[in-house]
Amino acid sequence: MAHIPDGVVSFPVLAVGAAVTVAGCAYALKRLPPERIPQAAILSAVFFVASLVHFPVGPSSVHLILNGLTGVILGWAAFPAILIALLLQAVLFGFGGVVVLGVNVMNMAVPAVICGLLFDVLYRRTGDSPRLAALAAGFCGGLGVLLTTLAVALSLGVSGREFLPAAKLIVLTHVPVMVVEAVFTAAAIGLVLRVKPGFIARPGLSPAWERVE
Amino acid sequence: MIRRFAFVIAVIALALGTGSPPALAHKMKIFASATGATILGYAYFNADSRAVQTKVSVRGADGSTVFTGVTDDKGQFAVQATRRMDHHISVIGDDGHMATFTVTAAELPDSLPPAGGAAPAPAAAVPAAAAATVVGSDDLRNFIDQSVSRQLRPLREQIDAYQEKIWLHDVIGGIGYIVGVAGLAFGFANRRRRPQVTEPS
Repeated sequence: MAHIPDGVVSFPVLAVGAAVTVAGCAYALKRLPPERIPQAAILSAVFFVASLVHFPVGPSSVHLILNGLTGVILGWAAFPAILIALLLQAVLFGFGGVVVLGVNVMNMAVPAVICGLLFDVLYRRTGDSPRLAALAAGFCGGLGVLLTTLAVALSLGVSGREFLPAAKLIVLTHVPVMVVEAVFTAAAIGLVLRVKPGFIARPGLSPAWERVE
Repeated sequence: MIRRFAFVIAVIALALGTGSPPALAHKMKIFASATGATILGYAYFNADSRAVQTKVSVRGADGSTVFTGVTDDKGQFAVQATRRMDHHISVIGDDGHMATFTVTAAELPDSLPPAGGAAPAPAAAVPAAAAATVVGSDDLRNFIDQSVSRQLRPLREQIDAYQEKIWLHDVIGGIGYIVGVAGLAFGFANRRRRPQVTEPS
């Protein structure tokens, strides 16, 4: 359950979510060079559509999130990409809600950025091996989902729900999602690194492929 | 440039392809309707996934709590209405899913006392077998009410499902919005940089 609906979390959580979202988006947009806007839009569209791929697990129903992949490719730019995708999911699909949008963006975009930064570190260490890089990307893809589920459980916990049962339930039901996303992210990044290495290049990061190009 | 464009198209096609069953939504929903004085309903995520063992509470229009419990293994619940008033049903999952649904007073039989009326006698559930021995006009009316609501129920379920369905045009419209926002952002970003671009290069 990645999208918290309106009316579940308490006001302080809403306020923190909105503040983190505004700050994250402002910082990301400041850093985002215009020539990477189309790329952010593509990942936003992928994120937007990924939520429709879902399957029943136990008493609940889960869907792909793909925030790990978004973060690995976009880094900080995942913030505005996820904001727009979540806004459209709330308005068009009824997933989550408009009031709670800030909390949902925080719960998905912060893990995305963490995964992106972690992938940068891992990628520098993998040298020139696309296979190791894909493995690192897969790890980040799974980690993104795990962090998001923990963030959702924490949001519910701070809002007065019991934290442990919620966390257990959400994390357990999302284990299949983690596996699927890890494989998907590894495959996608592996393909991108072989076909178009510049696609995941970020300013401030000058790994092997940029020097080669 | 053409190769880059082809790559973009391929990614979008892939995104659309993986989301090809757009009828599947991820959101908890409730459907309920009254059959006689009994409100029957179920909580579900989509056509083939019900919300089982999930907390249900039903609140009357007068603020009283009519029913609390959990859904059964088919996601269903049944509530006996004792007054003719709006019943607000809410289902809350441990993982934060939540949905609400209202069964209006108009759906419940006239024989029930209105909200705030005299304390009602325990409502006698009318079993289907009783329909065989229709005698009074009240019994006849109840019988007609029940059979009409039973006939209408699948139709209402279908309408509900249609309303909640995610259509392909929703998905395509959303992607169109994203492309549009990106275009705007790109345009503004370029306008901001234009003074630098006009310098001799």
